[in-house]
Amino acid sequence: MFELTLQALYSGLLTGTYYALVALGLALVFGTMKIINLAHGELVLLAAYVAYTAESQWSLNPLAAIPFAMVVVSVVAIAVYLLIDRIKKDRELNSLILTFGIGIILTNFVLLVWSADIRSTTTPWFQQAVVFGDLLFSSRSEILFFLISVALVGATWWWLSQTWYGRATRAVSSDRKAAMLMGVNPRQTEILSFVVASILATVAGIAIFTGQVIEPSLGHALTVKAFIITVLAGMGSIPGVLLGAILIGVVEALTVTYFSSSLQELTGMVLFLVVLLLRPQGLFGFGVRRG
Amino acid sequence: MRANGILPAVAVIALYLLVPAALGHVDYVMSLIVAALTIGGIAVAWAMLGNLGGMVSFGHAAFFGVGAYVSALLTLDAGWPVFPAMLAGGAGAAIASVVTMPALRLRGPYFALSILAFAHIFRILATELESITRGAGGILSIPVLPTVAGFDLSSKIGSYYVILTIVLMAMAGYAWLRRSTVGLALLAMHDTEDATKVVGVPSTRLKAMMLALSAFITGVVGAFNAHQINFLDPDYAFSGLWTVLPIVAAIFGGYRTISGPLVGALVIYLVDQLVFKSFLPHGHEIILGALLVAMIVLSPTGLVPLVRQTVTLVRQTVTRGHHAAA
Amino acid sequence: MLQLEDISVAFGGLAALSNVNLRVDNGEFVGLVGPNGAGKTTVFNVISGLVKPTAGNARFIAMDLLKQPIHARARAGIARTFQIPQPLHELTVRQNLIVAQKFGTGHSDPKRIDEILDFLGLTERAERNAANDLALTEHKALEVGKALATDPKLLLLDEALAGLETTGKRQFTQMIKQLHEETGLAIVIIEHDIETISELCQRAVVLDFGKVIADETPERIFRDPEVMRSYTGERSA
Repeated sequence: MFELTLQALYSGLLTGTYYALVALGLALVFGTMKIINLAHGELVLLAAYVAYTAESQWSLNPLAAIPFAMVVVSVVAIAVYLLIDRIKKDRELNSLILTFGIGIILTNFVLLVWSADIRSTTTPWFQQAVVFGDLLFSSRSEILFFLISVALVGATWWWLSQTWYGRATRAVSSDRKAAMLMGVNPRQTEILSFVVASILATVAGIAIFTGQVIEPSLGHALTVKAFIITVLAGMGSIPGVLLGAILIGVVEALTVTYFSSSLQELTGMVLFLVVLLLRPQGLFGFGVRRG
Repeated sequence: MRANGILPAVAVIALYLLVPAALGHVDYVMSLIVAALTIGGIAVAWAMLGNLGGMVSFGHAAFFGVGAYVSALLTLDAGWPVFPAMLAGGAGAAIASVVTMPALRLRGPYFALSILAFAHIFRILATELESITRGAGGILSIPVLPTVAGFDLSSKIGSYYVILTIVLMAMAGYAWLRRSTVGLALLAMHDTEDATKVVGVPSTRLKAMMLALSAFITGVVGAFNAHQINFLDPDYAFSGLWTVLPIVAAIFGGYRTISGPLVGALVIYLVDQLVFKSFLPHGHEIILGALLVAMIVLSPTGLVPLVRQTVTLVRQTVTRGHHAAA
Repeated sequence: MLQLEDISVAFGGLAALSNVNLRVDNGEFVGLVGPNGAGKTTVFNVISGLVKPTAGNARFIAMDLLKQPIHARARAGIARTFQIPQPLHELTVRQNLIVAQKFGTGHSDPKRIDEILDFLGLTERAERNAANDLALTEHKALEVGKALATDPKLLLLDEALAGLETTGKRQFTQMIKQLHEETGLAIVIIEHDIETISELCQRAVVLDFGKVIADETPERIFRDPEVMRSYTGERSA
């Protein structure tokens, strides 16, 4: 039993890090625009399918497909931004319905182009096992993307706290008017946050494609999961997002180990509701979102 | 102004008499219309919550599913007659909504998504609580709608009348509520919540009431569906489609009007099934998504207000034309 | 009837009110004065429930005020106006009053609504959209109207006269005076104009930096050079 628990903790840690990439993108856009992009998970999915096409049609290594997928996802994300930008009235709720609609479009686009079949990488290198001390099992893909994800979360944190653009983004999210007075162009930072979110989403998409399996309905599930994580984290806390993502990863893995895989989703949801209702500022944050 | 009173009356008569007379013998079209009305019923409930309560829900499937399950199980396991069981289904959904009420404290997007979380939780519970719900295998041979005064309500036309009546009663209740003082207070809360509170409006209580009412209607519609198709399983009863289609319908028709959601449901569902589906058997929902996006960007108030504006504009032009001629 | 004891309010560590004591008796007309940012509106927000104090007690008649939700305070007889008029959106002027009356008093009385409309000179505007189709004076009048429709025992007027030109201000002042004399309602008014305060109020409370620095008759207050210095915003370093 101890080995199983240890393995669950380990797997949860590995999955949690790419969850963090997805959630961080959602949180960034929420930070600058105060809207939740319900099509965010579909962007991740899109990147994964671009990698699938690159691999199956052009025999490209999924890693080599990253730049290409980034361009595709960023272009779509900017289109999403431009549509949101056209909403003038009741922005908060209309943007929710708008991005919900975009999510439906993307999911069905994926379904039409790539069919409902489950796909995964055919490059064997990614699937090979990495075993630590005869105890902890994982694949090369999981280890690789664990490292990349941690590095990217760190890079995002550095970008937000150390660079001018990053600080401008934070300024816009805390006080839009004041930021404008300081010479920050909020539109620019909004687009930038969408692009950074797209980059993170792309890497997460490739991680899923090489480490797990992809199917059209995955996008929506990822959006929901990312939202749950940002709620756990408390908006605006990057270490919180990482911790929240790992927490979800671990709790899911433990649920599968001790109960059943059909309950995996339930634990995340229950955790979400408990935190939302009892500690709306998040486990690790200070934000307030009561009406 | 007078047309506002006559038009609904004409529409109601047409729905009760003309539609069955014209299409009653075409089984396929009739069943599509029944399905469209089912969506329409949820759309009315969803729009009511959005328009009067100022709340967007992404989880109405939760209330649909609970209503369906409660009614199906009461008829099968407790021997209830179908119609009382359907009302109990609505009540069950309203009670389920009480569980979700702590979410009322949350702002827009958080509320919307916590209701979604509840829908997922309810679906998983329906799958796991096998001893009560019979699990993932679902429930077969749910009792059909009864025969009343020699009229078989389980026939295509019979079930059409049942769901039509449910939807129209919901709309009538909605219209009455919107004109009432409570409805006025709810409308005002949308933009000026503090100002309504300081004159004594218990806003959270009113929102909770709206949520329960919306859940009740959705639950009754879910119960109707269970007795109409006589089969139920968790993935079907709590399917995301019961959330997506009503939202598209309500936004398309105009969620701040009484008739918009129903008009939207009839147009969207019938066009989707008869046109889009024929050239896109899989993934035709892409067009629904595109419609949703287009409506929000181009005409966020929806189709019904758009048509009304156009009609007024045409009328004015015509009258002006008359004046010019005279 | 109203008693605030040692009320303190802090926003994110900044003290907006510190140990404020305020007493309003039946039928009294009290002026609440002080420079901008002194915390006058915050006092109203505490009384009406929009702001929760960090410390202190408040009683209204026999009620522990701070335990009551906003709507219950309105129901108990506390009514207020907003400095920036907040008509109930999407409703007509009359519907504004209907909602306020129904929820503030628990019953409907169309005759009373007509009286209020008449008293405030809004009868001809009754069927107009309250948010979009009114002039500033009418918005101010509607603020008072909503408050009166709840049949209050205590009326809090937040700069009800600000922004009005001289004649309008004159009329409005007379109207409020008449209201007070006829109904014996207790009123607290936030107002900058010394003359108006002197004309209307039996007592004036001066707030500065979130503290009560004087609580006297208007004549005495406006003769006190110390108070006047703070009141006009001149501060010694």
